[in-house]
Amino acid sequence: MGIVFDIKRGGVKDGPGIRTSVFLKGCPLRCIWCHNPESQAPEIQWAVTTDEVCGREMSVEEVMAEVLRDAVFYRTSGGGVTFTGGEPMFQFEFLKALCAAARAAGVHVAVDTSGQAPWEQFAELVPLVDLFLYDLKCMDSERHARFTGVSNDLILENLRRLDAAGAKFWIRCPLVPGLNDSDSDLAAIRAFADTLHHMEKLEICPYHPLGLEKCTKFGLAPRYAEKAQPTTADLTRWRSALAK
Amino acid sequence: MSYAEQMARLTARKIEQTRAKQDRLGARDEDDYGLVLPPESFTADLPVRDATGQFSGPRAWAANFRWLMEHHPLYIDPDDALAGRWMFMLSRMRLGYQLSRSGKDAHFAPDYQIGLDLGWGGLLEKVRAARLKFRAGGVLAAEDAAYAIELMDAEEQAILGVQAWIRRLGEAAADRTMTEEDPVRRANLAEMARICLKLVDQPPETLREVVQWIAIFNMASRTYNRDGAGGQLDELLRPYYERDLAAGRITDADAEFYCFCLLLNDPHYYQIGGPAADGTDQTSRMSFIILEAANKLKSSCNLTIRVWDGMDRALYRRGVEILLANRLGFPRFSGDKALVEGFMKNGYSAELARRRIAVGCNWMSLPGLEYTLNDVVKINIAKVFEVAFAESNSWEELEANYRKHFAAAVKVTAEGIDFHLDHQYLNEPELMLNLLSHGPIEKGKDVSHGGAMYYNMAIDGAGLAVVADSFGALEQRVMDEKALAFDEVKAAVAANFEGEEGARVRALLDSAGRYGAGGTRADAWAVKLTEILNGEIAGHTTPHGFKLIPGWFTWADTIRFGKSVGATPNGRKAGEPISHGANPLPGFRKDGALTAMATAIASVQPGYGNTAPWQLEVDIGLADDEGAVDKLMALMDGHFALGGTLVNINVVDADKILAAHKDPSKYPDLVVRVTGFTAYFNSLSPTFRELVVKRLIREAV
Ligand code: SF4
Repeated sequence: MGIVFDIKRGGVKDGPGIRTSVFLKGCPLRCIWCHNPESQAPEIQWAVTTDEVCGREMSVEEVMAEVLRDAVFYRTSGGGVTFTGGEPMFQFEFLKALCAAARAAGVHVAVDTSGQAPWEQFAELVPLVDLFLYDLKCMDSERHARFTGVSNDLILENLRRLDAAGAKFWIRCPLVPGLNDSDSDLAAIRAFADTLHHMEKLEICPYHPLGLEKCTKFGLAPRYAEKAQPTTADLTRWRSALAK
Repeated sequence: MSYAEQMARLTARKIEQTRAKQDRLGARDEDDYGLVLPPESFTADLPVRDATGQFSGPRAWAANFRWLMEHHPLYIDPDDALAGRWMFMLSRMRLGYQLSRSGKDAHFAPDYQIGLDLGWGGLLEKVRAARLKFRAGGVLAAEDAAYAIELMDAEEQAILGVQAWIRRLGEAAADRTMTEEDPVRRANLAEMARICLKLVDQPPETLREVVQWIAIFNMASRTYNRDGAGGQLDELLRPYYERDLAAGRITDADAEFYCFCLLLNDPHYYQIGGPAADGTDQTSRMSFIILEAANKLKSSCNLTIRVWDGMDRALYRRGVEILLANRLGFPRFSGDKALVEGFMKNGYSAELARRRIAVGCNWMSLPGLEYTLNDVVKINIAKVFEVAFAESNSWEELEANYRKHFAAAVKVTAEGIDFHLDHQYLNEPELMLNLLSHGPIEKGKDVSHGGAMYYNMAIDGAGLAVVADSFGALEQRVMDEKALAFDEVKAAVAANFEGEEGARVRALLDSAGRYGAGGTRADAWAVKLTEILNGEIAGHTTPHGFKLIPGWFTWADTIRFGKSVGATPNGRKAGEPISHGANPLPGFRKDGALTAMATAIASVQPGYGNTAPWQLEVDIGLADDEGAVDKLMALMDGHFALGGTLVNINVVDADKILAAHKDPSKYPDLVVRVTGFTAYFNSLSPTFRELVVKRLIREAV
């Protein structure tokens, strides 16, 4: 059993093709811009302004029943399931069982991770996962710690080892204007990416302020109150800086 | 002068005409058709009417139709490859016209090939020869022979009317050459005149002639009684195109322009691609030319691409690209596999099933072979549910009561179909479509009365999601969770959810698992309701023995039907519209997942060869996504693999819709797919616009 806080079907953003995203609760990071702040705590949470609940206990079978509803669309689109969060590695045993079940059902498996988990766990997942969606938030370790609560040492180390193990991955950069998107930030990410061998794609996940509303809903104190979305100029600059 | 400039001018004029129609006629919740307004000075003094303004029977229809064609105002556009536009619907000049209901318009498709082979002169000879045969006697019983002779007389009058109109069009085009100064247009007018004068009698031989012939038939048939079914357009045109091309008479650009003009002339429903009767792919160069012509049209168009395993995927892909780029609601995509397999379940061969093509807003037809009353006969199951619910004192009684009342509804509906088939030939014979059907002239019988080869009478259920959600909400809240008592729901529904107590009950019902979410009680009910629909209709006949085929489709009737139904236990208030076709209600899932919608709609396909379309509105965001074409194709491929039959997609710019909703005149060219058809947004009634807007906003959030 594990705690799932949402299952979204028909997604087209988290990995290739048409996908179902399974959101697992709990995260070791505390990104100040977090878009899912209600997902950070591992336990079930109740909203304060509505009667919404974040999180419910589900078995692997229950999750898979939902996932398999769209099996035909995974086939026609080259899609599959994406386990995300929170940080899906936070419920490692549950995640491993889910990956194994999806693999057994012939469903393409992606894991969307911050990279903050013991290497041994990644090593166990490699044979069960088709694609890692791996976040790179900031190459500067000290600022990384300031933005997310943890240094990036383990995260970068895990990514190098995943690469060496031959795992397939996409790097995803959550970029927040003025925080982690300076030209040197972007150049550092690009330079690091260039040292890797199995990266298939380098993507940008632009900041959006939806987390703010969720903070209010779940009675959490927002730590980054920017309401504006990145501009088209931001996006263009990011894209060209990260392009090869 | 280039075709591009000509097309631009033609399109601009079409937009002007749409605006003029909107000003004079007001809002209309239906197809745009190709109709233009007659001059204000024109009055139709139909020669045959009784004191109430009514007329009926072959003789009266023929006399009035002939008069109308002989006096029809002439429309000649020197930029157009084709002469003529239509302006009236004779059927609407009668008293008390209504589109759907027994005794009204019959939806079925002509076989143009009959006319293309014979020409109007040949059709006239055929009718006269048949009349001689019936006069000579011995073929039919005396009473039938009398009708057959009257029918042939009427057909003759109708043809003479059409011929007079074509001749006048040709003469008018010739006259215009005298005053036209531009040499290109003058040459165009001269060719238009030559073609019309030829087509008065002779069959068409070149591509431009064939396109003009089809346009003339379409306009005449529209003028007669609205019609609107086209055919397998690529295959109809291909031989003429290939011959012209081989002879060096035309280029692909010419062919494209002729097709452009045909599609501009009238948005008839045409299918392109798909399997031929023998199972080979029909996609040809002609299919692509038609699709590109439609692409350039940038206006209301009803082209359907038949999607199947053996198809040229390039046509499919190009269709999706055009749909996303133009955002005009076409082409539509029809799912061959389920349609063919389904139709075969009625006892027909695979060859015949492949010839049954998508030529109506939701419907399929065997061109020239079949009479169907497609999209005309509906059972509002929300009403059936309302009656059953009022009669039930417990959850346990409800299903049996629903079944009982649904069976009763089918019974009276089937009797109504028989009534129509018994009388329509006397009321409103199909003088135009008879000519392009196999049988009516040969047998001396109207297509609605024994003339056609096959009778596959359509009955569509309407209001599926409202009823599935009502059953589902009751089962979940009353039986599974015991959160509400059956009587409590009954009282709240009877009081239209008024008051605090009503609001509380409603909130619980409204938030129950919906049809479309996947795995809910309502999902299971939607499937069960389809089984009940099939159980009473599929494989059954009317009392007189005519085959029935079920479908789920509501056309524009969601509002009208909703008005007659009180509150329902899905939280719907009295008088609110019922749900659309097989679609789940908006808000069926928080993520609004298209895969969930596709799966749900595939799960409720009756599966006997008629459709339960998926009506999909996607906002611009999806259309702009990287890989949107692939994703949309994957979505449709999945839907068709699960048994889907037809997909209608509207790509909508939410801002534009909102602006158009505030001031329709700002966007006279905004085309939306409302149900199965495309229509100009500004010609929809405010209530209908409201409905489209609401759905979009909710989906966008
Ligand atoms: S890693 Fe993701 S879920 Fe965790 S805090 Fe950061 S943004 Fe939120």
